Amino acid sequence: MTRNGTVIRTQALTKTFGDICAVDDLSLEVKSGSRFGFLGPNGAGKTTTVRILSGLLRQTSGTAQVCGLNIDDDRNRIKAITGLLPESPGLYSKLSAVEFLEFIGALNNRNGDGLHRRIDNLLSILGLEGRQDDLLESYSSGMKQKVLVASTLLHEPKLVFLDEPTSRLDPAASALVKDLILVLAEETDTSFFICTHMTNFAEDVCDVIGILDSGSLVTLGSPEDIVETARVDDLEDAYLQIVGGKIDRKTLLAWR
Amino acid sequence: MVRGWFHIAKAEFFVLTAGMRKHRYIYSGILYALALLWAVYLAPMIVVGLIDLIIPMAQLQGLLVIMLPGTMRTVMFFAWVLLLLFPLSYALNELKIGHWEIFLSNDVKTKDILVGTLMGKMPFYTLIVLMLAPLLMSPFLCALQVSLVGQVFVYLALTGMVLTVIWLSNWITALVQARLGDSSRGNDLAKAIGMIVAVVVIVPMYGIIYMLPAISEFLGMDAFLLFPSTWTADLISWLAITFNGVGLTGSQVIGFQTILHMDMVTNALLMTAFGVVSLAVALGTADRIFTISAGSRTEVITTVKAENAVIRGIRRLLPSATGVLLVSNLKDYLRKAQNLSKLAYGVVLAVLLPVFLSFVGSDAWQTMDEMTFFVVMMMAVVGSMPFAGQGFLESKDQLWIIQGAADGPSRFVKTRLVSSLLVVSPLIVIPAVVIGYLMHATLIEFLVVLGLGYLGLAGGTMVSIGVTARNPNYEDTKSPAHQTNMMLSVMIPQFSIMIWLFVDLFADMLFGIDVFGFYRSVFPSVSPFTIIGIQGVIGLLIIGGLLLLSGIRSLSKPEN
Repeated sequence: MTRNGTVIRTQALTKTFGDICAVDDLSLEVKSGSRFGFLGPNGAGKTTTVRILSGLLRQTSGTAQVCGLNIDDDRNRIKAITGLLPESPGLYSKLSAVEFLEFIGALNNRNGDGLHRRIDNLLSILGLEGRQDDLLESYSSGMKQKVLVASTLLHEPKLVFLDEPTSRLDPAASALVKDLILVLAEETDTSFFICTHMTNFAEDVCDVIGILDSGSLVTLGSPEDIVETARVDDLEDAYLQIVGGKIDRKTLLAWR
Repeated sequence: MVRGWFHIAKAEFFVLTAGMRKHRYIYSGILYALALLWAVYLAPMIVVGLIDLIIPMAQLQGLLVIMLPGTMRTVMFFAWVLLLLFPLSYALNELKIGHWEIFLSNDVKTKDILVGTLMGKMPFYTLIVLMLAPLLMSPFLCALQVSLVGQVFVYLALTGMVLTVIWLSNWITALVQARLGDSSRGNDLAKAIGMIVAVVVIVPMYGIIYMLPAISEFLGMDAFLLFPSTWTADLISWLAITFNGVGLTGSQVIGFQTILHMDMVTNALLMTAFGVVSLAVALGTADRIFTISAGSRTEVITTVKAENAVIRGIRRLLPSATGVLLVSNLKDYLRKAQNLSKLAYGVVLAVLLPVFLSFVGSDAWQTMDEMTFFVVMMMAVVGSMPFAGQGFLESKDQLWIIQGAADGPSRFVKTRLVSSLLVVSPLIVIPAVVIGYLMHATLIEFLVVLGLGYLGLAGGTMVSIGVTARNPNYEDTKSPAHQTNMMLSVMIPQFSIMIWLFVDLFADMLFGIDVFGFYRSVFPSVSPFTIIGIQGVIGLLIIGGLLLLSGIRSLSKPEN
């Protein structure tokens, strides 16, 4: 359900919390089937943007369409065709991984053998098949993140919002999630909107990068273009040049 | 160099006064000044003034003097138990030992942790003593015209007792917390214990009080003298007697000696010895308590087993996604020990209160109809308590997940209601059978109490889920949202049922309308109390339904 091949379109999207402007006049277009990386320092407004686009938070001003649907009028329809991986895991501590995924499937109106087959396959791919019947309270944070990734993909959303998908994962699990995103985007035309701090991950996975600083979009383009424009070696250096934050050795030791 | 305990105490004080962050020292000072003014001037004036309005102090003086030793012993006994239990129950509900690891990693002595935690809490408890103690002490101190020096000694003794008990409570809390750890399972157990700790201790306590005469006879002495609370109580009594300004005669003082048994010095020594021993035991065992290691904690992995017949039956009856949501909600609720203790707490209350009422021998609550009305009120509380506040949603992140699905909150709340009703349904059977048996009810009367009681139960559940959905407090039991949810969930059902009784009474008193007579003329075979019960239950169900809808709307709308 896209309009003119655009899966997300925002116009002057703004969100304020009291005196703080979390998202400032954001105008953005994300093409269908793309893997959009949303980079920015802590508190830049990435999570706020994702929450507005997924219908969880009301914007202060501006408009946005997700999969051709207006976020003010079609929140339920947007939720039905999108998936959201939240920043921190809000799992049910007293359910097992299978039971939790069954619950998420049911919330999205799915049940029966088809759902169970999908749950088993996803848990197997994510390496949780041996622990699938253990209560989630005993899972490590990385394992919980894997369950959340599975819950986000369970109902085959057209557009997936991933908020820091690999922040708690070990390198092997990060690589797995990376491959999962790439194969889903290529084979099923699923679009991804990924908030991350990890520039390496963004460089490997995303075909378009937007850098947000203090709520404003300061850079937009392919990773290669951003690196070339900044005249640096990689995305991390480009990011540090755009956003700032590189501190010299003398300052690093000044606190002593 | 300042010791480690001071920094811990300071941190505790900062946590305590977080609400008045910028001006904590000024506000604390003002608060203490006001509390002192209250204790020294306002409270005695108000309390004695109020008593004077009812019975002139001159008439009451003799009685108060005689009552002093007995009242002190009883009040100190309950104060002792409350001071011991309240912080323990409170701490168990919010089990946090993460900061212990910070302390220990910074080479802080274990004794400093205990002392620092206590000293940090002291300003709060001192304030409580300053506010509450004068309410109790003023009439007695006034009746005996105790001198200012005597009053200072009385409040010092009281403060000494409070300090000792809180120190003990602090130590026991640390012991329990360290054993249960900060694991999810330990946390769950702690919350469950925190919920029932009062029942577990208070019920045997009542038993001890009733058995005291027998124990005394067996021991050949007053068994009350064995309680540390008695030493404080008797010391306070002696202080008030010694520093009296009414001129008690020698024979009157000897009269007190026969009641109090031990003299002032012995009581003071016993009280001090108990405080010193508590201090020594806690400090001596501190190192053993604060050993945090993975092995000693309850890091047990629980693997779910095959589903039971009830769950399988629900799945068979409801093979849709709704059935799955229902089953998930049931599993989530019933696997938490704290929820099971809340249910048990409710059942104990529902059974004990009507039983007590049927034994007190008063004229009220002696017929089956009156008891049915009482059961409806009780069941509304039993239905609301297990689902109010805690246990609805674990975290805001969980809410985001549910909100992320189309119509997620609506389907979640509806299935949560059905699962909650399934959980509480059996609870009506126990009080209905107990009451039916005690009151020799007919089958019809039994069915009425069962039916109306269940509707009261369902109404209470609807109210508490609706109230909590409107203002979820997650697992935070210290938040104002939690207190509000708990209060509203109990008050609304009670008010919805009681209101009809008051409407009928006021109609009679103010306008001379005999509503009960009207009920009798229209429904001659039905008791007016049953009709009020039906009215109350209908009102409760309507209010519960409206609160549920409002809760769903509130959870569904995007945040601003």
